[in-house]
Amino acid sequence: MRRKKELMVGFLLILPALVVLVALYVYPLALSVYMSFVAQGRFSLANYLKVFEIYWRDIIYSVVISLVATAVTLGLSIGVSGYLRFKSWKFLEIMYKLPLFIPFLIVGHAMRVFLAPHGTLNNLLTRILRIEELPGLSRSWIGLVWAFVWVMTPYAALIVFGAFRSLDNAYIEAAQNLGASRWKIVFDVLIPMCRPSIMVAFILTFVRTISSLTIPIMVGPASPNMITVNMMFRVNYFNDWGTANALGVISYLIVMVFAIYYLKFMAAERGGIKA
Amino acid sequence: MRKLCGVLMLIIAAVLLAQADIPIKVTLTMMVAGDQNMVDFFQYEIAPEFEKLYPNVKVKVVGTGPGDAGSQQIIQQLQLEKDSGKDRWAIDLVVIHEAGAIWAIERGLIRQYTDFLTARRLVTMKTAEVALGINVNGYVMPMFHSQTAIAYNPRFVKNPPKSYAELVEWVKENPKKFGYNGIKGGMSGVSFVFGWVYWKSKNPDVLMNGPFDEKYMEDWPQIYAELKEFNKYVTLTSGNAGTLDALNRGEIWMGPVWVDMFYTWIREGRMDPNIRLILPEPGMPGQPMYFAIPTKAANADYALKMIEFVSSPAVHAKYIVDRFNWYPAIGIEYVSPYLSKEVFDRLYRDIKEEDLLKFGKRMPIADYRTRMLEAYEKWVEK
Repeated sequence: MRRKKELMVGFLLILPALVVLVALYVYPLALSVYMSFVAQGRFSLANYLKVFEIYWRDIIYSVVISLVATAVTLGLSIGVSGYLRFKSWKFLEIMYKLPLFIPFLIVGHAMRVFLAPHGTLNNLLTRILRIEELPGLSRSWIGLVWAFVWVMTPYAALIVFGAFRSLDNAYIEAAQNLGASRWKIVFDVLIPMCRPSIMVAFILTFVRTISSLTIPIMVGPASPNMITVNMMFRVNYFNDWGTANALGVISYLIVMVFAIYYLKFMAAERGGIKA
Repeated sequence: MRKLCGVLMLIIAAVLLAQADIPIKVTLTMMVAGDQNMVDFFQYEIAPEFEKLYPNVKVKVVGTGPGDAGSQQIIQQLQLEKDSGKDRWAIDLVVIHEAGAIWAIERGLIRQYTDFLTARRLVTMKTAEVALGINVNGYVMPMFHSQTAIAYNPRFVKNPPKSYAELVEWVKENPKKFGYNGIKGGMSGVSFVFGWVYWKSKNPDVLMNGPFDEKYMEDWPQIYAELKEFNKYVTLTSGNAGTLDALNRGEIWMGPVWVDMFYTWIREGRMDPNIRLILPEPGMPGQPMYFAIPTKAANADYALKMIEFVSSPAVHAKYIVDRFNWYPAIGIEYVSPYLSKEVFDRLYRDIKEEDLLKFGKRMPIADYRTRMLEAYEKWVEK
């Protein structure tokens, strides 16, 4: 009886959080999965067929771009964090966080102007360094990756640097005593010991990249497009929520692959998620 | 006696008061689709003037955002009003796109009112009667007309191509110097693609006026294959603004733009004023924005007055043409007496009224429109 009462109280205590979770997350998610199977008022796979007919290339493109951007971002943030772990450099510490405070829309526009064929970058290169004009990067996948890396690095670096800093100095000193160089310490001590945090940084960066809309619209090439751009296009031009939702479901699935991998990894690493 | 006098006086006063026209306080609620400049137009330019004219009226403007998505939101709101079953709807006036007007008529959300509108007689374009191939006569009054055209930089382009056919030759001689934004970054690119299909299609009139039948789409694979080939020689820009940006920086020398946006940029000093416009043969589509009155609008009378006010030649001249660089919804001959020569020449410098009537095409009817965009995705982007 008492046990039952305790359970009841416990349930009531988590109820508000549960309601919020269901109302804001589970319900819309379920609705969008459901809508993705409805075409012209009937239950069908038509939306998915359309997605694979028109957008299969864009889906692969989105994954590849996100992976490339995430890889570069992680590389940079490990570099910056590794450097800052050994040497204090106030300027770098402030500079790498700067993009945190700039909205995506502004970044998109800035990059568009900066990387355009006659944009700021090329103007600087041609006028100051007197070298030949580079082809514009602003409407290519390179420009897109560039812009993503620029906005994502501070987040990833914050996480990675936090992990590096919280690692006990004893490990590093031990390695140093054995004559390991700084880079060796980064690769052989810091990275393996901070793997969970780096995984978190990886997944967060990937999810944020693949779900970003403004930057692909403003900086990315006209074709292929990221999944988000196609979703917007289906809704705005065709009022076609079915196909847009199907695209959405596909991006959930992509993200889910990483999420599951991450959960498994965490479970293996720490002997269960609860740890 | 005195008491009787008092009562009599009271009665007389009451009768006199009853005769007087005591204005009732009214809030005129309008929902506006379109870019922020449309909302600003009503909020900051028209509302103060209208409230001066009718001091008992307060104008409330709600913006729902650009593109058909903005119209869609308005339609949803009206549908909610309809479903509520109330006799007086909270929305008095809406400004919607062509697609929005059709959706609204199909669902019985807007009423016929233009018979009561003096300004309706001044409309010279067909858009007041037909939208995307559907008869909208009576339901809508155009607010203005937007037109796409090709902007070119005379510094590099001495002799601009006058038709799509000449343009195809031109891009081969000047690769990557013509730019447009594809179909996902804004309507100026979409409009260019529609113009292309009109040019190549055997039945452009059917595409614009209906009826819908897949047999008129037989020649499309070839049309789009040629467009794909054309795209090899062009630059794809990012959005309507992206095309203007690239033109301004000299990265491209030509590109399709919205005329109102183009002139607004010039006036605000964001665009090289030497860049010119041309409307190539056989034409490019433009589109109107429509005023419509919801079926059970609570203040339909004032909504009508508002439409009459904005559609009057003087207000049209001052705001629609001079301030916002839109093409008037009513015949330019009625508006031009109120325009200074400078303003008139600014808007009609490159594209004359007769060019507009001849080469200003309609958007394709809804079913072709959807298929044209999907065809582009399928055959050109891949």
